[in-house]
Amino acid sequence: LTKVNTQVNESTVRWPVEGVRRIPFEVYSSQDVFDQEQRDIFRGPIWHFLGLEVQVPEPGCYVLAQMGEVPIIVVRHEDGSIGALVNRCSHKGTPLAFVPSGKVANFMCIYHNWCFDLEGKMLSAAFERGVKGKGGMASTFRKEDNGLQRVRVHTVCGLIFGTLNAATPSFEDYLGADLIANIHRVCGRPLRLLGKYSQSLPSNWKLYIENVKDPYHASILHAFNGVMKQDRLTMEGGITMGARGWSHISYSKMTTDLGGEIYETAQMRNAELAAYGFGLRDKSMTDVWDDFGDSVSMTIQTIFPNFVLQQLRNCLAVRTIVPVGTHESELRWIAFGYQDDDERKTNGRLKQANMMGPAGLIAMEDGMIGSLVQKGIAGSLDRAAVVEMGGHGIEPIPGSRVSEGSVRGFWTGYRALMGL
Amino acid sequence: MTMFNQEFAVSSLEQAELERDARRLIVDYTYAIDDGKLADWPGFFSDPCLYRITTRENEQNNLPLSIMLCDNQAMLYDRVEAIERANIFEPHYYRHVLSDSVTRKIGADQIEMDTSFHCVRTMLDGRMMLFAAGRYADRIVREDGVCRFRSRTVVLDSSRVDTLIALPL
Repeated sequence: LTKVNTQVNESTVRWPVEGVRRIPFEVYSSQDVFDQEQRDIFRGPIWHFLGLEVQVPEPGCYVLAQMGEVPIIVVRHEDGSIGALVNRCSHKGTPLAFVPSGKVANFMCIYHNWCFDLEGKMLSAAFERGVKGKGGMASTFRKEDNGLQRVRVHTVCGLIFGTLNAATPSFEDYLGADLIANIHRVCGRPLRLLGKYSQSLPSNWKLYIENVKDPYHASILHAFNGVMKQDRLTMEGGITMGARGWSHISYSKMTTDLGGEIYETAQMRNAELAAYGFGLRDKSMTDVWDDFGDSVSMTIQTIFPNFVLQQLRNCLAVRTIVPVGTHESELRWIAFGYQDDDERKTNGRLKQANMMGPAGLIAMEDGMIGSLVQKGIAGSLDRAAVVEMGGHGIEPIPGSRVSEGSVRGFWTGYRALMGL
Repeated sequence: MTMFNQEFAVSSLEQAELERDARRLIVDYTYAIDDGKLADWPGFFSDPCLYRITTRENEQNNLPLSIMLCDNQAMLYDRVEAIERANIFEPHYYRHVLSDSVTRKIGADQIEMDTSFHCVRTMLDGRMMLFAAGRYADRIVREDGVCRFRSRTVVLDSSRVDTLIALPL
C-alpha cells in the first residue's frame, strides 16, 4: 500500500467544562471538525454498517457503500464469504465500480484495465509487459504489493459491518452483549429485502444521530406518535446502553401505557390534537402483530457512530447517516421483512412503512429538525446546547425514557475518539 | 393495443372521449395539488384505489417498498389530516410541469396512461429547487361518467429525496 503523510488540521474546539451535558455548537459547523472526524471516527476504531448480506446473494454480487468519505465495495467471494474493499484502484485511484450494485467476475478498472479478483488481489494490468518487449511496468513493480485495500469485516445475522482501523476492538466488545442480543432478536431469521431510498438532509450528520438517540422528542415533535399512542413516554419502556455507553437501545411497549393524562393536559401539541379529535379512519395500518413474542412494540437501536436498527411495530429497517459536508448528510434507509413472511405480513410491513422515510408519518420531522437547528445556531458557535434531561451522566434510569442519557453517551464516545 | 380494442369493441370516438376525460383528470389533479387544495386530493381516486410513491431503482429491482402508500380512500383522508394537523414541516408549494400523456392501454371504461413530470418546490423564504422528476403510471376508470384514478403510481427518477415529502406529488 502506498501511504504518504498527510496533515489534518486539528480542530480548536474547547469542550465546555460541564462535560457531555453541553454540546458546543461549533462541532456542527466547523470544517476542521469535519475533517478530523473523517480521520478519527470514520477511519478510526469503529464498526461501520456496510449493507445487508441479502443485497449480495451470490458470488460476484457487490453493492457500494461509504465509510465517511471513503468509498467501499461490499462483495460476496467465490466461497460465499463476505468481503469489503476500498473502491479505489491502486494505480490512479479510480473507483473500480461506479454502478451502485451489480455482479462481476472480477474488478477491472476502466481507466487502464488493471484487474483485481473479488478479494482484491491484483491479477493483471493492460500492457504490463509492454508491446514486443518494449515498454511495460518497471521491474520494481510487484502485483502482490498492489492489491486493493481490504476492509476488516464482521457479519452478524445478515448485517455487514466493516472497519478501516487495526485498533478496532472485536464487534462483541465494541457493542456489548445486550445490543448484540437485540440484533439477533430483530434479524435472527433470514431477511427479505423490501426496498431502499435515501434523503439529503441539509444538516450535520450528528444532528440526525443525536435525534435518533433522544427518546425525549419522539412523542413531542412527532405528534402523530403521541396522539396515535404509538410511542409515549408514559408507556412501559426503557433505555439499554451498549459498551461504554456509546451505542444504545430505546424500547417501549404500546399495550402497556401506564396512563395519566399528561399528553392530553400538558402544554403540548398532543393536547391540541387530542382536543381536535385527531384519529385514523383507516385501521389497516395500525393492524399490528407481535413479531417477537415479547410485546415490545418499538426498539430503536444505534451503533456508534451512525447506524440505526429500527423496529416500529412490524416496520423493520436499517438507517445509516452518511456525512457529506459540515451542513449536508445523506440518510440511507433499507427496509426488510423475513423470507418466511406470508403475504399478509409483507403487505402489513409495506403499509406500516408509511411511518418511516421521507414521507413518514412519524419520521418526516426528523428530516428537517436538524436543518432548523443548524439555522438557529448560526452565528452562535461560541455557545452550547444544554442536555440535562435525566441528569448529567450516561447511566440509564431504570424503567424511564425521560432522559437524554443516550445522547450524552454518543458524545462520550465522540469526545474519546476526537480527543476533545 | 389493437387486440385489446377489438376485445372491448370500443369505437374510436368513445376512445377519444375517454382519453380526453382522463387527460382532464390528470390536469385537474395537478392544479389541485399545486393550488394547495389538499382536501380535494382523495376525491380524485376511486374506492378502493392505490396511490403510491416509489423510485425507479425499487421498481427496476422488483422491490415493493413505497415512500408513500395508500390503498383505500380512508388512507388518503388520513394522510390529508396528518399533513394538515399532525405533521410539522416548513410550509412550501409545488409547481408541477407535465408532459403530454401517452396511452398504454384502453378499454371501454378504463385507460392506462403515463405522464412525465417535473416538480419545483418553493419555500416561503423564496428558496426554490427542482424537487422531483419522474413518471406517473395511471390506471383511470370511468364511473358514472366521471374519471377517477383506480391507481396512480409516482415513479421518482431519483432514489434520493431532499429533506422530506409532506405533500403528495
